[in-house]
Amino acid sequence: MNSSSPELPIETSATSAEAQPEQAASVSTTALPAEPNASMQEYYQLQQDLLKVTLVLTGIIFISVWIFYSLNIALNYLLGACTGVVYLRMLARNVAQLGRSQSKVSSSRLALIAGVIIVASRLDQLMIMPIFLGFMTYKAAVIFYMLQTSIMPSSD
Amino acid sequence: MNPTVAAASVLAAALAVGLGAIGPGIGQGNAAGSAVEGIARQPEAEGKIRGTLLLSLAFMEALTIYGLVVSLVLLFANPFA
Repeated sequence: MNSSSPELPIETSATSAEAQPEQAASVSTTALPAEPNASMQEYYQLQQDLLKVTLVLTGIIFISVWIFYSLNIALNYLLGACTGVVYLRMLARNVAQLGRSQSKVSSSRLALIAGVIIVASRLDQLMIMPIFLGFMTYKAAVIFYMLQTSIMPSSD
Repeated sequence: MNPTVAAASVLAAALAVGLGAIGPGIGQGNAAGSAVEGIARQPEAEGKIRGTLLLSLAFMEALTIYGLVVSLVLLFANPFA
């Protein structure tokens, strides 16, 4: 491919950016429109699907832990799973706001799991391992959703 | 707690969070930047791009959380104390 071809849009835009750097800078910092378009319905559907899968997995694992271990451990697991659901909602909201507002990609959601782990290490009634594994339920839901959409792509 | 164990635990906790956040931080920045660039190029695919970004970030941020949990356990529930 001839790199000096004038019809290449990349080279044309690069040349214009060099010629007018202040204009290129203003274009690069333009935020995305505040109103979500119709394709965002797919994203909201993904959020709902992930939430449903997470809740179903949480229910199944909660009952299994209750049967095979004890109610105390199951409640610890449930606390971690609820934390994971809140974390996933915060992450989804953050991704939805990405590029729309001036707010930075914050890591305040990491404070959520940090606070829960610290409380669990301070209180005798709480255990760290069931809470952490419960928190990781959202990841199992993501893996399940990805496998489901990979095996059956037309089902969604 | 033995002072040597305490010092090693604090050092290990700092390294676990600090070093463990470098890779996911770079990866998340690259992914988010590429996603916004893709949305700007193809606004009609915004939902699909944001969905893929959400799944990617969910996987990447788990690596940071692993280091965070290890450091919190070392600081507040040290098994070697």
